[in-house]
Amino acid sequence: MDDQQYHAIGKTSIRKDGIAKVTGQEIYTTDVVLPRMLHARVLRSPFPHATIKTIDTREAEKLGAICITPRDVPDLRYAERIVTIPSKTFKDRQVLTNTPRHVGEAIAAVAAETEDLAEQALSLVRVEYERLPAVFDPFEAMKEGSPLLHRTILFGQDEIQVKNNIAASREIVEGDIEKGFKEAEIIFEETFETGRVYHAQMEPKSVVCQPEADGGITVWTTTQTIHNVRQLLGEIFKIPLSRVNVKKVALGGSFGSSIQMNSVVPIGVALALKARRPVKLVSSREEDMHDHCKYPSWIQLKLGGKRDGTFVAGHMKVIIDIGAHNTQAYPLLGCMAGWWVSLYKLPHLKFEGQAVYTNKVPACAMQGFGNPQVTFAVESMMDMMAEKLEIDPIDLRLKNYVGLGETFWGQGPTVKSIIRSCGVEEMLRKGAELVGWKDKFKREKTEGVIRRGIGMARGFHTSGAGAPMAGEVIDYSGSIVKINEDGSVDFLTALMDLGGGTLDALAKIVAEELKVPLDKVGISPVDTRTTVYDVCTHATRGIYCGGGALHKVTGQAKTKLLEFASRILQVPPHSLKMEVDEEAGQGMVYVDGVQGRRISVGEVAKTAQINDWGTIAAVDSLRQVSCPPCFMAYFIEVEVNMETGVIKPTKALAYADVGQVVNPDLARGQLFGGLYRGLGYALLEDTQYDEESGELTSGGWITDFKMLTANDLPEMDNIEVHFTDTYEPTGPFGAKGIGEAALNPVAAALANAVYNAIGVRFTEIPITPEKVLKKINDHCKINSEKLTVKN
Amino acid sequence: MEYLRPQNLKNALHLMKQWKKKATLIAGGTNVIPDLRARAVRPEVLIDISHLKSLAYIKEDKRKIHIGALTTVSELASSKIIEKWAPLLSHAANQLGNPLVRNRATIAGNLADGSPAADTAVPLLALEAIVVIQGGKEKQVPIHQFFVGPNQTVLKRDEMIKEVIIPKFNPNAKTAYFKLGLRNSMAVSVVSIAVLMEMEKTFCKKARIGYGAVAPKPIRAYRVEEMLENKELTERLLRACCETIGKEISPISDIRASKEYRTEMASVLLKRVMKRVTQ
Repeated sequence: MDDQQYHAIGKTSIRKDGIAKVTGQEIYTTDVVLPRMLHARVLRSPFPHATIKTIDTREAEKLGAICITPRDVPDLRYAERIVTIPSKTFKDRQVLTNTPRHVGEAIAAVAAETEDLAEQALSLVRVEYERLPAVFDPFEAMKEGSPLLHRTILFGQDEIQVKNNIAASREIVEGDIEKGFKEAEIIFEETFETGRVYHAQMEPKSVVCQPEADGGITVWTTTQTIHNVRQLLGEIFKIPLSRVNVKKVALGGSFGSSIQMNSVVPIGVALALKARRPVKLVSSREEDMHDHCKYPSWIQLKLGGKRDGTFVAGHMKVIIDIGAHNTQAYPLLGCMAGWWVSLYKLPHLKFEGQAVYTNKVPACAMQGFGNPQVTFAVESMMDMMAEKLEIDPIDLRLKNYVGLGETFWGQGPTVKSIIRSCGVEEMLRKGAELVGWKDKFKREKTEGVIRRGIGMARGFHTSGAGAPMAGEVIDYSGSIVKINEDGSVDFLTALMDLGGGTLDALAKIVAEELKVPLDKVGISPVDTRTTVYDVCTHATRGIYCGGGALHKVTGQAKTKLLEFASRILQVPPHSLKMEVDEEAGQGMVYVDGVQGRRISVGEVAKTAQINDWGTIAAVDSLRQVSCPPCFMAYFIEVEVNMETGVIKPTKALAYADVGQVVNPDLARGQLFGGLYRGLGYALLEDTQYDEESGELTSGGWITDFKMLTANDLPEMDNIEVHFTDTYEPTGPFGAKGIGEAALNPVAAALANAVYNAIGVRFTEIPITPEKVLKKINDHCKINSEKLTVKN
Repeated sequence: MEYLRPQNLKNALHLMKQWKKKATLIAGGTNVIPDLRARAVRPEVLIDISHLKSLAYIKEDKRKIHIGALTTVSELASSKIIEKWAPLLSHAANQLGNPLVRNRATIAGNLADGSPAADTAVPLLALEAIVVIQGGKEKQVPIHQFFVGPNQTVLKRDEMIKEVIIPKFNPNAKTAYFKLGLRNSMAVSVVSIAVLMEMEKTFCKKARIGYGAVAPKPIRAYRVEEMLENKELTERLLRACCETIGKEISPISDIRASKEYRTEMASVLLKRVMKRVTQ
């Protein structure tokens, strides 16, 4: 689509929150300070599984601290993530627990005048524990007689028994796999494992809560969804939603870690309600690392195909170690099935997934929601098949991918839509050309210490969870748009910006639709009282769904504007046109070809006020009827050191189909970020456990949870980013999502490059130097002069 | 916890003598602050000497260079004197932590912490540095005798490092330093190595080899040094050295690497540095 018609969309601009952020003026939860505010600390279980026999807070209270224990909080089980419809939601959480199920689970909390005093008070709380047997391995956990974490949990309103620690399971079948595999001429089977990554979002989870005189509460917190936090607090503390107000503050990153209401939120609220004073609770980094992680996966994949490379059948079995709580693994399993079947056409398929409780930190959504795991498995297997079939891996992908006009599962089997824009062919063919794929992929292998290879992988993510029918996942956004008397525009949305610039993109949508200069569009500070519902910024839905709803509402405001302008200009509304006048700093309404019939947006608004014509504002909501995939391909080059096992990514090319690019700089930033986290996922990031103590081997210290640094990435000049020429007909100005897509294929591209370099296939990530060396030692011959690969 | 800020070195020493075990000395704080947060140390008083700028210097005389205790790692990394007379230390300083850490961390702090992976210790071992300790009276300890075990040094509770002295190395000597970590910045060494070799063509007159993270403390590889000294360097000899080093070290398995990996890397890095100095 030609960007020339746009003045805001597709143009690089400085993001509206940029100056506040770089000068430190942006307000995050931790910056919120209230008069008479207390500081809170949380007592956390040192054991992976225990029951509390007694808690004695008397000594702490003598210091003047306000203390809460499980006795002081509402006795109910809730689900902290309510993106799924209520009837499909599992509930096993409590505000504070008498039965901690992982090291670091909250048992009690204190609030005092200073954080120091709170720490002191915390050290005076006496707890008598009875340790219970714990289980850390999901396969152990599923065995008869293993320690049971939860005897029962709630599924919707129903209490259900938990058997063998299986928190949720799903089986999805299409066609007949037995028949399919019989037709197959070649069958591949492999098991893949992915790591337990910590989100490491910049801002640790925090909350500030103010109890109000009317019995209500006002809350500032790290969240991806202010309305779901409000709903949950209303449910837990039995306060009408009209008296629960959640303020929107900037969020210092999340990667999915705040898709649910953070566990510290109801603790802060309970303390504030008891103290009758505002309470601030800021997690330490160590506490944060004991709070959440990515879903680690074990994926058994079997694919059958014809010799010509056509796929006929697939069978995927998935085990997810979810840790101590079910932060909605049921939709996760559905999504994993969806990611799988939407990558390549499979006439016959079966998906079986199980999510298993273990006494570890609870896993939750993290960038991709099962997609990086599935894509690692499938895209690794694509290369294995291509090699066996002697087909170029790119050709094999082009032969089988799910593309234009085909059905896409945006969010599991209940959220499906038809693909209406697709840049897969462009990204694979042009990407291959740009990197010199044919020569590099087949290049002669060297025998030196340093070996070079190239690999590619493709993938996608959904843009939101919209569909014609309501599915298991709620997708809903709304906005308020009002045009001011000087021609500037305010918009109010509950949609959160997780740091990627989503709201900046939304401002562009408003500016473009109303043809007003971008700097005349203001993003209003809001809360749950001043906004209509927005489900959550997740599922790469910000621009497509949140922006889609805003586009609709802006259109409604525009209709009113044109109606009033038509009265002034004395022509029918449909004869009016709009254009931006950057010099005047105004959007202009005019009649094409008629001189003198031209008026600014501001004049229309002011005239409407003077004459009592009505407000030029609109409020409405929207569920998108589609969930278009944003496609992504990576080409990555590596050097593998055969002596140390160190893998060095040296070059990368990212090719993305995001529909219409809204802000080129920010879109590029998303791709760099996805590459960075993807390489960390592939090479380094993981949280390990000490089997004796059940504690993280890092102890929660960020210094011992290693992530890559800028020094570990290819040089900036060696990272190329391209966007396909696509336009999504259902998206605002043709746009779709990008965030999670940017990460999903990276690990597979890297593993494929390593295979290309040294001829060794890694099916387990992270691929650490030790693992590389072990496999090299098993497969390759080494002498001090040169290394020869054994056949 | 009380915070004390002595006016000068004398006062600092006086306070240390007064508080002994109850005190922790802090300068850059890049070790102490994390230790405090982890409650690995729980001092009653913190004696801050970071402002005693008279202890931050790099000087040279005819035979030696003198590095004041509070010289930061950044200052080491950018010093022309160090670059010329102790290039190994330059390399190590450049790869320690990240720029933020390097700007605060001091040479004395890096040594006094007694980490088996201390980045500056490894080149200082190869350079045969001397640690000047100030307590009741001043004493000089060769660096290879300074470390005792994991986080243990010969420093007593009322003593502190005042200076590090490095004999100027023979400009004809060859040196090489390598650090292997889990990432390229902000990494604690998995294995690090520093060598200094005085060569006459292929004849080795002198060899000094320092290792980090392969034993309870930073060590010299004496057996390998002996194998090399006064020998003609042949490929066979170098290979023998690479085998011997595995027996000379005693690495542990920890969250960064296994004992086996460290052992293998000690040999790989030795080969690398030998390649570098013999070329």
